[in-house]
Amino acid sequence: MSSKNDIIKNLNPHYSWTLKLADIKTVEAVKFDNPVAEFLEISRFVGGDAVLLNEGEDVNALIKTLYPDAVRIASNLPEITIASFNPDETDDPHNLNDVELAIVKGELGVAENGCVWIPQNVRQKALYFISENLVIILDKNKIVNNMHEAYERVAGNDYGFGVFISGPSKTADIEQALVIGAHGAKSVRVIIN
Amino acid sequence: MSTKHAKAAKRFIRNREQEQWHNETLWLVRQKRDNMAMRIPEWEELREQANRIKAHTVAELACYLEQFSSAAENNGAIVHWAKDAQEHNEIVYDILKQHQVKKLIKSKSMLTEECLLNPYLIDKGIEVVESDLGERILQLMGEHPSHIVMPAIHKKREEVGKLFEEKMDSEKDNSDPTYLTHIARKYLRKEFLTADAAMTGANFGIAQTGEVVVCTNEGNADMGTSLCKLHIVSMGIEKVIPDLKSLSVFTRLLARSATGQPSTTYTSHYRKPIEGGEMHIVIVDNGRSKIQHNFNYERILYCIRCGACMNTCPVYRRSGGYSYTYFIPGPIGINLGMLKSPKKYSDNLSACSLCYSCNNVCPVKVNLADQIYRWRQRLNLFHKASTTKKLMSKGMKFIFGHPALYGAVLKIAPIINHLPRFLVYNKLNAWGHGRELPRFAGKSFNSMWKKGKQLTINN
Ligand code: SF4
Repeated sequence: MSSKNDIIKNLNPHYSWTLKLADIKTVEAVKFDNPVAEFLEISRFVGGDAVLLNEGEDVNALIKTLYPDAVRIASNLPEITIASFNPDETDDPHNLNDVELAIVKGELGVAENGCVWIPQNVRQKALYFISENLVIILDKNKIVNNMHEAYERVAGNDYGFGVFISGPSKTADIEQALVIGAHGAKSVRVIIN
Repeated sequence: MSTKHAKAAKRFIRNREQEQWHNETLWLVRQKRDNMAMRIPEWEELREQANRIKAHTVAELACYLEQFSSAAENNGAIVHWAKDAQEHNEIVYDILKQHQVKKLIKSKSMLTEECLLNPYLIDKGIEVVESDLGERILQLMGEHPSHIVMPAIHKKREEVGKLFEEKMDSEKDNSDPTYLTHIARKYLRKEFLTADAAMTGANFGIAQTGEVVVCTNEGNADMGTSLCKLHIVSMGIEKVIPDLKSLSVFTRLLARSATGQPSTTYTSHYRKPIEGGEMHIVIVDNGRSKIQHNFNYERILYCIRCGACMNTCPVYRRSGGYSYTYFIPGPIGINLGMLKSPKKYSDNLSACSLCYSCNNVCPVKVNLADQIYRWRQRLNLFHKASTTKKLMSKGMKFIFGHPALYGAVLKIAPIINHLPRFLVYNKLNAWGHGRELPRFAGKSFNSMWKKGKQLTINN
């Protein structure tokens, strides 16, 4: 406790000329004519490989064609019929280590960088990272232009954990050579419907 | 008199091929950053806004820290305060001891490097595993990062291949980065699954909501924190920002500036502890609060550790991270070192050509070069100014102060072009070490001006 007091005390007094947060000019940020098209393009660029679900196309059938060999498929979404189990019934996240494919829902897409916002909507958040492949289903009406708009929508929501994901896990730590599949999912597909 | 930086740099450039690779690779990262910046028409305004938010926050830091800690406590996190590295390490160890932690898995944190946490914990019998690939490579080699974003940038693939052969049973002589990364993935997955606690740094702390934001590409911070019940966050006091609206400005700038990506792969928001678990946040001062009211240098606290100033710095690119004596190299490291201990780290001041490129790329507009310049003016106070250079400066001052003499000197200057090397590059000419003298023009500007000659610029 005393260290807290010391630190806070050290930081006082405030500058008298302090700039008020409300007085800082907010930038007019980039907007796109067609945010969905922009999202699709940038998502491909960052390895998120977004695809648009065609009218009348079945999402389960599409996922099956994308991952024909996946057997252990986790999803808690009622519309996903190809799931082999409901991960929310798993008490210990370590048991999710063998998941080949997880199918989850994204709440928000960002056109400028291909990020999808997922406030924790499964019991074990490990699912987003530990499964070999990840499919994120996103409503095309929930794609915003930029991060300013995104955080405007995120703010005020109650979540214990939330994450923006923009593609597969990657690294360039060996000689700056880009390698997909560092620790998290080796592939991420965003399906826009 | 060469500084320690100059001597170490000499060693680095002895390996020409490696030096060239290092230089070109980092320049490529700089170019990727430029491409990203150019795609955003409002880029410069965004930097300005980021700068102002930081100016505001740093001035009001006491309030924001209070707000952050009470919001975090409301979320169920346990907040600790550490005035220095020692207290930080003790707090972390106490938490680990209470939970009987044997293995701690860490994601990258420059603050824990600063506090020398790993050796402290290892000494107490705790197994510490770095999970960022670059950090893990260095940990296994017993070395420390040479760049704050690309820690193992000085390592060649063959060295990593050899290391993995020995430590991870990889194929002999296979140094393909994809192969090696996937070997490390398998190997580290086991570590993730058997760790008892996870530790992360913090890119941002949000005062309004009490959440901690961590940005990674590998997903290692999330692997650790979603498998372990115990999450410890180590966060410097300057990481706090007001709210999510402010965060949107920084998330747009960070990855674009750091690696030339539109965003990191994962931007994770930790607000509450995991189901049935605990989340601890250690807020660390370790000299930062002192900087806050130092008008000349407080901007250093705006830094979001993107590393762009290092990638653009011609001296860093050509001399490598290890040639600096402070654990953070490059323009940001020169300044942080000086604020830590001017006496101890003033050697790094020579690692700057005052080209000001760092100022121009910094996403939060830290005035890095101005600060280096300011420190140099004060070198005398730490008895570190080079005596030969001082002597020469005095001589120049005398010449500049006497117009007739100046004219005479200028007339004979071209003679230097024809002097033998040993006369020009001798021990007395401290600036001649590691530098080539430009050729003096046959005629001085002054004499051409007087003769009214047309100046032609042949560019
Ligand atoms: S000083 Fe600026 S450019 Fe350098 S690491 Fe910090 S934020 Fe990035």
